[in-house]
Formats: sequence, structure tokens, C-alpha cells
Amino acid sequence: MKNNQKIIVTAVLAAAVIFGFGRTASAMHIMEGYLPPQLCISWGALSLPFLAAGFFSIKKTVSKDRRLMTILAMSGAFIFVISSLKIPSVTGSCSHMTGTGLGAILFGPLAVSILGIIVLIFQAVLLAHGGLTTLGANTFSMAIAGPFLSFAVYKVCQKCRLNRRISVFLAAMLGDIFTYCITSVQLALAYPSEQGGFLASAAKFLGVFAPTQLPLAIVEGILTVVIIISLESYARPELKILDFIKEGHAYEK
Amino acid sequence: MMLIDQYGYRSGLRKVNVMEKFCFSVTTLLLCILSRSFSVSILVLLSLGWLTIRKGGIPVRRYIKLMRIPAVFLLLSTLAILVNISKTPLDAYAVPAGPYYITGSTESVIFGLRLILSSLSAVSCLYFLSLSTPVTDLIGILKKLRCPALLIELFLLIYRFIFVLMSEASAVRISQESRLSCRNFKTAVRAFGGMASALFIRAVMRSGRLYDAMESRCYDGTIRVLLEEYPPKKKEIICMILFELLLLSITIGRNIYI
Repeated sequence: MKNNQKIIVTAVLAAAVIFGFGRTASAMHIMEGYLPPQLCISWGALSLPFLAAGFFSIKKTVSKDRRLMTILAMSGAFIFVISSLKIPSVTGSCSHMTGTGLGAILFGPLAVSILGIIVLIFQAVLLAHGGLTTLGANTFSMAIAGPFLSFAVYKVCQKCRLNRRISVFLAAMLGDIFTYCITSVQLALAYPSEQGGFLASAAKFLGVFAPTQLPLAIVEGILTVVIIISLESYARPELKILDFIKEGHAYEK
Repeated sequence: MMLIDQYGYRSGLRKVNVMEKFCFSVTTLLLCILSRSFSVSILVLLSLGWLTIRKGGIPVRRYIKLMRIPAVFLLLSTLAILVNISKTPLDAYAVPAGPYYITGSTESVIFGLRLILSSLSAVSCLYFLSLSTPVTDLIGILKKLRCPALLIELFLLIYRFIFVLMSEASAVRISQESRLSCRNFKTAVRAFGGMASALFIRAVMRSGRLYDAMESRCYDGTIRVLLEEYPPKKKEIICMILFELLLLSITIGRNIYI
């Protein structure tokens, strides 16, 4: 085959995958039972320090003002509902938001790590997205790595005085892409390729999920911008309450 | 939307002791991923499927539909394991593409099939638990596992709020769609943003009111709920132990044999 032909074949294959299977392409949850036991444990162990930090930060906010408890719980439910709704998509497939970027910008990465693991448990039990054994790996990629990167990007963009819309867009999109990269790395570590080992395998996983994940990341970025903008115009007082959750921890230090 | 939740309440296995169900599904799950063998996977898939459908009373068609949820992920990621790109063709198949081959070895094909099957059987374990146990009962397990009280509280509240927000969201969705919000991509994005922010404002408002209501009823940080306890039955426990021993012996036997 010539080069053009190869490109056409890959494009057709990708399209077939998207239209054939992509109808229910959800966020990148690693399925129940897909990771070997050692990796389940080690990803869980890796998430623990972040979860502990998140737990203590939440404990501090709640002990300062008990009223924030219900708001935290509502925020968790909000992340779950937003990530379980169908979003408009360009490819015609039915996809969902991850909500990592939105959560990180609204509630801060520490609180999101705890809300995230609870949301992931509910997603596993109620929607069969992800699973109990892969909870550690999924928590690390979706509730820790993604939100932390999103938050960092958002803060850096604010420091550079970038346009607000652009900084929100970048934060959400990059957070989503980072989540997808981490998941691919997790899968590659579990199943290194016969030829070329870990790196080749990571490239393959990235390639296989790219057609569904890249458009999704862009759509998620756009949606997050729209949501944040409309929140800022209609919900200023409500957003102020959230600053306690986000920065209550930072003040105390 | 949340069919699994509804079936959880309706299941015929609901009145079985929660800890029993939890231990059974988790040990089976662990044995599935520890052994990764065809025989264990098929045995687990069939027997847990039978338990969920027959004893639990879940319609077969619905169960098969639920089993298809993980299919996309399994197909895509196993595709990545099966397909190799290298200069030398491997033994199972090889499609030449320029100077390289799209190729795979028999070993990896078998490995991929085994992975899919054992992952499906693991999913059937998860379904056994979630289709027979409502979340309120699962919270009892968290308590027994000594999970911090704050987390259990969050868990309980979030579970309740999910349904509150879900019904709000679907109401907003219906009214938006009746006004042609999904005419094209741009309007759809706008509508989604509007819906999300309306949802958020309502969530914060509701949480404030809810807190007032709870505080007026002496809320002090813990919601105390009476859980219905179903005593464990000896017969069930013996059956479960026998089943796990069977799985374990297959796993060990296979390792010795090979």
C-alpha cells in the first residue's frame, strides 16, 4: 500500500470504530477485572496520600462550617449527574463528560479527589462504568491526576492574565487529555507489547482511544467554558460559598 | 436512567445477608483476576449469571444489555493488545503495510481472549452485587469496614442528592428539547451549559434548605438510619465456600498442571 492508501485505510478504520462501537463511548473508565491484582493495589496505594490530603481538607472545611457539608455532597452529586448526562457531540456518538476540569475549577483539586472517589464508586455500582478492583487506577487518573493538572493549568493561565474563557478551556481540555494519557499508561504498564515493550504499548493504547477521546476533550473544554461563564453571570453568590471549600484549606496553612 | 438501582431494590436476593453477598462477590472477583483462566471465567460467568437472573429475577434481555456496557472498552483496549506493528511477521496473522507488518502472535490472541472473558466474568461479579444490593445496604458494609464517619455521611448524602439532581436535570432537559435545543451543535452546547448552571444554582439552593431542615431536626453530623439486618444462613455460607474452593482448586490445579 502507498502512503495515501494507508492513511485512508486508518481513517476508515477509525471511523468504523467510532460509528460501530462508539455509541456508548463513555469516559475512560478501566473496566472491572481488566488490571492484574498487583497493579490494582499499587495504583490504589499511589492514590492514598492524595485521598488522605483531600479527606483532611474536607474535614477542616466541615468543622469550620457544618453547613458546607450539604454543599459538598450536592457538589459530588452534581459531578455525578453532569458526567452521566449525554453531551452534544460532533461524531454523532453518545458520550459523557468526565467533569474533572469543571470540578477542579469549582471545588479545588483536594476536595475533588474525595468527591471523585465517591462518584467513581457510584458509577461502578449504579452505571457499571469502571469497577471495584480498578477503583484505585481510575481514581488516580480521573479524580487525582486530571483535576490536579486542570487546576494547575487554570492557575498558571490566571497568573499569565490570559483570557478567562481560554484559560478555562485549556484547563478542562488538558485535564481531560491528561486523564486519557494516564489511563493509557496504566493499561500499557499492565500489558506491555510483545514487540517494543511498554512504550509501543502505550502508543497503541493512545492511538486506539484517540478517535473517541480527542473530540470529547475539545467538547468538554467548550462545555466547561459555557458552564463557567453562565455560572459567573447567574450564580455569583453561590460561587462565593465555594471559595470556602477551595481556599479554606489554603488560608489555614 | 438508573435501572441497576431499581433492580437492586426489587431483587429476590435482597433479603440475603449483605456481608455474605459482599464477601462472595469480592472473593469470586479476586479469584477471577488472579486465575485469568478460561475455565474459571466461564464457570463464574454462568453461575453468577444464573444466580442474578434466576434467583434475583432480573430479565435475561436486560442482563445481556447490561453486559454490553463494558463491551466498547473491552474491544478497543484488547484491540491494542492484539495488534502489533513490527518489521517481522508473527505467527498468528500478518498484514503487510509498507515496510511494516500489522501482526500478532497466537499467544497474544489467546491472551486477549482470556482477558476479555475474565474481565466479563469480573463484571458479572460486580453485577451480582449491585443488582442484588441497594446502595443503602452497601453503606452498612462501609460502616463495618471502619470507613471514616465523614465519608459515610458524604456517601449517604450524595446518593440521595443524585436522584434529586437527576430529576431536576431531566425536567430541564425536556423543556429545553421541546424548545428545539438540539437543533444543531451550537444550540446543543448552549443548552447543556444553561442546564448545568441552572442545575448548579438549584443544587446550592436546595442544599441550604436541606441543611436548615436537618438542623431543625437536631442534625449533628451523623444521620442515624435503622438498617434492616438479615441474618446469615448456614446453607448459603456452605454453598459459597464450596464454590470458592472449587474455583481455587481449578486455579491451583491449572498452575501445577502447567
